[in-house]
Amino acid sequence: MPSSTSNFKRILRLPRLFFSKPPEIERVHGGPPFEYERPIPQVPWRGITVVVVLIVIAAVSAWEFCCRSIGYGPTLNDNEDLWTMARQRVKPESVVIIGDSRAWYDLDLDELEKGFGKRPVQLAMGGSCAYPVLADLANDENFHGTIICSIVPRLFVAPPGTLPMERTEKTVRRSHTETPAQRVSQYLAMPLEERVAFLKQEELTLDDLLKRLPIPNRPHAQVPPRLPPYFGTLDRERRARMIEECARPGSELARMIQQIWIPLFTPPPPPTYIPKEEFEKKMGQAIEQRFHDIAKAVQKLRARGGKIVFVRFPYGGGLKDLEDRETPRAGIWDRVIKDTGAPGIYYEYYPELKGFDCPEWSHLSAGDSVEFSKRLVPHLRKALQL
Amino acid sequence: MLFNSLTFVVFFAVVVTAYWSIRSWNARKNLLVVASYVFYGAWNPPFAALLFSTTAMDFWLGRRIAKAKGQRSRRAWLVGSVCMNLSMLGFFKYGNFLLQNFQWLLARIGIIYQPPHLDILLPVGISFYTFHSLSYTLDIYRDVLKPTKSLRDFILAVSFFPQLVAGPIVRAGDFLPQLVRPPALRAGQFFWGLLLMTLGLFEKIVLADTMLSGSADRIFGYAGPLVALDSWLGVMAFAGQIFFDFAGYSTCAIGAALCLGFHLKDNFRFPYAAIGFSDFWRRWHISLSTFLRDYLYIPLGGNQVRPVRCATNLVIVMFLGGLWHGAAWTFVVWGLLHGSYLVVERVIRGLFENKEWASNLATRLFAGFATYAAVCIAWVFFRASDFTVAARMLRGMFGGHPHGDAILTTREMLQIALVTAGMILVHWSLRDSNIETAVMRLPPWIVTAAWALMACAIILTQGNSNAFIYFQF
Repeated sequence: MPSSTSNFKRILRLPRLFFSKPPEIERVHGGPPFEYERPIPQVPWRGITVVVVLIVIAAVSAWEFCCRSIGYGPTLNDNEDLWTMARQRVKPESVVIIGDSRAWYDLDLDELEKGFGKRPVQLAMGGSCAYPVLADLANDENFHGTIICSIVPRLFVAPPGTLPMERTEKTVRRSHTETPAQRVSQYLAMPLEERVAFLKQEELTLDDLLKRLPIPNRPHAQVPPRLPPYFGTLDRERRARMIEECARPGSELARMIQQIWIPLFTPPPPPTYIPKEEFEKKMGQAIEQRFHDIAKAVQKLRARGGKIVFVRFPYGGGLKDLEDRETPRAGIWDRVIKDTGAPGIYYEYYPELKGFDCPEWSHLSAGDSVEFSKRLVPHLRKALQL
Repeated sequence: MLFNSLTFVVFFAVVVTAYWSIRSWNARKNLLVVASYVFYGAWNPPFAALLFSTTAMDFWLGRRIAKAKGQRSRRAWLVGSVCMNLSMLGFFKYGNFLLQNFQWLLARIGIIYQPPHLDILLPVGISFYTFHSLSYTLDIYRDVLKPTKSLRDFILAVSFFPQLVAGPIVRAGDFLPQLVRPPALRAGQFFWGLLLMTLGLFEKIVLADTMLSGSADRIFGYAGPLVALDSWLGVMAFAGQIFFDFAGYSTCAIGAALCLGFHLKDNFRFPYAAIGFSDFWRRWHISLSTFLRDYLYIPLGGNQVRPVRCATNLVIVMFLGGLWHGAAWTFVVWGLLHGSYLVVERVIRGLFENKEWASNLATRLFAGFATYAAVCIAWVFFRASDFTVAARMLRGMFGGHPHGDAILTTREMLQIALVTAGMILVHWSLRDSNIETAVMRLPPWIVTAAWALMACAIILTQGNSNAFIYFQF
């Protein structure tokens, strides 16, 4: 073993040159045992390793304790592989929920199961556009079941290249290309995520912690909008439930999230490098194309005997003012219903669906989601002619 | 299977435990073969059959070359091996690219031809394992290696899982001798291997994916004009990202191999402290550059020919090196740029090498930073999705958009600046040394703290299982 740096040079022999023919013994497979041997630093390895393991265990435990003390709890991450697991549960006649986070939080799978006689598969995704999932199901020749599709207009017609669209496209693509290794990683990750609070891929990673540093920015710097912090839990069926802290009326967490929705739902300014008129024209074309694509997908699904119902879930407070102003019912909702000819349930039309309070303006509490689902089921059955 | 995935953590723990628990050397090698095929098949099981078939073919062709009597016959068998390997690579990697260019060429002469789009899935690591395998027949032909009698040993040499999918490109001649006698389990070697794996994962997960990739993606994905500062920062972010991504993979591979008692050579040697481009290529992706040097550049005549021919050889080698990285003209331009850098460097060296000022510190520092800047400019073509993006980036970098957009946040700018400065500082301070020497010189408590810090940062980052950039090659 080398004892000084000069010895390293001796051991770190240069690889033989290609054109200098080695002696016969070295040409035989079975010649010298090692052409090359990496130097190994001579340090007290056992002691170092033990101390490193102890430090890591202590640091990770402290971080877990810290995260729990500020309100975080264990929950599954809503990643592409968890979605893929749910997608693989879709049978030809399944009831499938697609759309955004409102379909996630506001629908209770147990109540829907009672109403439909089969357990629905939850494929809705937070902050996402439902169209790629709708298209994927429409293109699945085996599928002729029922789709319950949530509509949040800004997300539903999000043009290609935007975050809601990219997120769903990436996830759908993963469901077609998932490797065995990725599937195994998901199975290994779930028991950990169900027990460890700091494993939050969208919130407590180093990257997200760095993003929270209060560093002032240059004017016009494009700062990604802040996403709401942890306010719900997710299980292996992808059922989301709002945590108690957020469901408590007027809680600090709920008020903080309310203020995060406003910039998230406010249309961003057009890019500086395209004239405003041209940008608006392009957006208009993209939205028209989306209406066309949605109608086509619905038609394809119905041709196989599949059914679909669009649902507008409750929302409230300042977010309702903003959404109703920017995306009124007469705009996108009416157009989707008209173009597709599919039934729609707009919660505001029905008194029994109307009186629910969204603690953070966008979703129902876990308790309310059960009652809401119970009241929604008869309307769904009627709309779907079941 | 990605190194930065839970599956690999469990896989590696099981393989290492079983490997060192088994006494029989043959059984251990069998275990490694099975483990390597499981590792590879975990992506796409059918491609494991492709890997096996090319390996078996080269094993057989290697024996044919060795047994052949005349030079013509030896050459014929070698041509068979080269054609088999390169046609496999050509079909899977360049099939659609060749068809598209053929279509474009026909259109130039007025023939409208619509080729069928071949829905070809690129087998992971094909560029690497093809070269692992090809080195065997090439070395036998050149009479510097005798064929192994064991198909199992050769399969292991080609498919050894740490280096299978993204290098280093380990030549059969370097690996096969290590399969003769079983290595002994040494604590220092094992723990050093673990530390190297931690370092590699830290480079990949924390430095490449967390600190740099977001900014690089935002800059290269921005459709509008950018000011010079943001353009340069975006390119510097990518320069750091690709280094930490690829060097991280290589370091992991070296560490994993060491834990199993195998010794792989360095694939990177602090490349951003290179003074000149020939120095850069002695430090960057060393296993590829030495492969191209030994099997292409030198057979073409190397530098033992007239200057013009030598320059042509350099450009040809770098052109093919660029194409090896990907089936797109942007990669070709990247390769050609490096080829032309090497030619210009030779001319400059010829003119000024003997001047006294050429070797003083200021000149070396200037040359080092000029090398880094030129390498960054070349990275634009490597990263850009097409020439429009590359042209927009270059215009931004050279002040073509004085009123362009400034989109990076202060945090992103600080991350790029700090990581890049740290990287260059480390590269310059270790440019004539190696990491083992550095670790030896440090007090043990610093090694302990650094290792613990890296491990904690990896856990905190929660490794999002992003694929390594070089997997696509």
